Amino acid sequence: MELTDADLVARVLVDDDQHAFGELVRRHQSAVRGLLRQLTRTDFALADDLAQESFVRAYKHIRSFRGEAKFSTWLYRIAYNVFREDARRRKELVGINEEQLEAEPDPQTVDPALRQDLMHALSLLPLHERSAVLLCCQNGLSHDEAARVLEIPLGTVKTNVLRGREKLKKTLAAWGSN
Amino acid sequence: MNENDELDLLDRRLREAVPYIDDAGFTRRVLQALPAPRRRAVESFRAMILLSITVLGSLLAYFLSDGGRFISEGLVKLAYGAPIVMFLVAIASGLVITGLGMAAALWKNQEFGS
Repeated sequence: MELTDADLVARVLVDDDQHAFGELVRRHQSAVRGLLRQLTRTDFALADDLAQESFVRAYKHIRSFRGEAKFSTWLYRIAYNVFREDARRRKELVGINEEQLEAEPDPQTVDPALRQDLMHALSLLPLHERSAVLLCCQNGLSHDEAARVLEIPLGTVKTNVLRGREKLKKTLAAWGSN
Repeated sequence: MNENDELDLLDRRLREAVPYIDDAGFTRRVLQALPAPRRRAVESFRAMILLSITVLGSLLAYFLSDGGRFISEGLVKLAYGAPIVMFLVAIASGLVITGLGMAAALWKNQEFGS
C-alpha cells in the first residue's frame, strides 16, 4: 500500500527519515519545478535552483506543516515565497528591474515560431496574473488555496485569474488571426 | 462556442500543456543539500537529564516526607474506609488516566497533521 503524504510527513517528523522526505520530493518535484519555470519565465536553471531551495526549506520547517492544507499547497506557498525573495534579492544586488517580472511584453513582438504556444503566452502575463492562473487553472488549486499560497485576498485572486484568462484568450486569438 | 466553453477549453489546454518533468537526479541533489539528521545523542542526553532530575526529585521528596510515611498512612486510611470511597477513587483514577491519554493522542494527531 502506498503511503500518503501525511504518513511520509509523520515519518520525517518522528524519525527525521530523509528517505521519506526523498519520496515526498519525488512526488512533488515535477509540479514545483513546473510552477517555478513558469514564474521565472522559463529560466530552467534558476527555477531548479529555487525548487531545490524550496524543498530544503520545507524540510527544515516541516514542523510548521499542520496538515490544515494539502502538502502540495504548503509546498507551493514555500516555492512562491522563495521565488519572491530571490526576485527581490536580484533586484537589490544585480539591479534587475522588477519591471522585468511585472511587465507585460507586447504579444505582437513575440517570435512567430513561439506563437500558438500556450505556455509562452502565459509567460507574457504580468506576475500577479500569471501566478494566479498557474495555480488555479493549471495546478488545480481552489481560489481559496491560491489566496493562501499567494498571501493575497480571495477577491484579488479571483480578479487576477479572470483578467489573466481573458488576456491569454485574446493573445492566442490575436496570434491565430495573424 | 460561448465564452464559458472557451475558458474551459483554455483551462484544459493549460493543464495538458504541463509536461511531466523527469526527476533526472533532482531528488538526489535535494537530499544531498539537506542538513544532517538530528543527532540521536543530543536527544538521549536530554532524556538522561530529565530522568536524572525526576529520580533526584523523587528521592528528595521521599526523604523530606519521612520515608513517604504519608503515603502509607493514606493507604491504610483508604483500606479502612468505606468500600464506596475506594470504588470512587478507582473510578476517578481511571477517568483521569483515560483523559490524559486521550489528550496526548489528540495533541500528537494534530502535530502530525494526519
